[in-house]
Amino acid sequence: MENLEISATKSSPEINFNASNYTLSMIGESYPENTSQFYESIYKWLDDCIASLDDQEMVFNIELIYFNSSSSKVLMDLFDTLEDASDEGKNIIVNWIYDEENDSALEYGEEFAEDMEALTFNLVEKS
Amino acid sequence: MISLYNYKQDLEHDGIIFSFSGPMSHEIIEGIGSAIRVKIGEGKDGDRKAALKVFSIFVEQVENVINYSVEKDTTGSDMSFGIVVVGKKDGLFFISGGNRIETEKQNKLEDYLTKLAAMDKNELKIYYKERRRAEKAEESKGAGIGFIEMARKSSKPLEFSFRKIDDIHSFFTIKISI
Repeated sequence: MENLEISATKSSPEINFNASNYTLSMIGESYPENTSQFYESIYKWLDDCIASLDDQEMVFNIELIYFNSSSSKVLMDLFDTLEDASDEGKNIIVNWIYDEENDSALEYGEEFAEDMEALTFNLVEKS
Repeated sequence: MISLYNYKQDLEHDGIIFSFSGPMSHEIIEGIGSAIRVKIGEGKDGDRKAALKVFSIFVEQVENVINYSVEKDTTGSDMSFGIVVVGKKDGLFFISGGNRIETEKQNKLEDYLTKLAAMDKNELKIYYKERRRAEKAEESKGAGIGFIEMARKSSKPLEFSFRKIDDIHSFFTIKISI
């Protein structure tokens, strides 16, 4: 599998998915003009990545300063996909990284975490 | 030569910091949105938390105009027309947006917003999470949770109005206070 690298724009996050060591990062803001179009390639990559995952650990670091409601729905779908994979025994960790000054980011992270059972969903304050 | 002085004075009198009326686009969200974040969030009285909240409501409102205004550019660009203002009055920031809708859609929207305005924060949270997982409604062009998002961030129940324009159109206005 190839790595997936997408540069940040003003309204879309930087994506850095590494297929060799299963570390994924998404950093920035998310309110793209066309949300489903932007996240399509990310979904596709993630599906392939999960399929190729044996007993390695996959770590997904997410640091979003702001995301709009359309992105919120996409993120929910994404976490549900990771939850299902975890339920089937895959070893996946999500680190939801937030700035202490950004209480919305923490609140939204907590709400995603509440809905996850099998998936390890950590809330990590940015140091 | 016309002067915009009185118009500007009126806006300032109402506490309006930013006002945009015309064709909306994603570039407007990025451009004016950044200016709002800088104006409210930086400087010696800067409030970064408020800036992010105001910005998030601004994004949802402009996206609503883009997706649902029935007033379209007729020259082929298909841009949607509407208005959005951001201001501060009596210590609260407000974000208000408006656009033309078909009057036949008014009742459904009015019922929906009335329902949201009556919910407390916990009910809104539960409803938000429920709708976020639901299949999106046929008429919805976004995730269909923008108004719930706005209601959750609002420090007062959301305010809205409808005004008849002609036989088939009404003007819809929504106001959120932070």
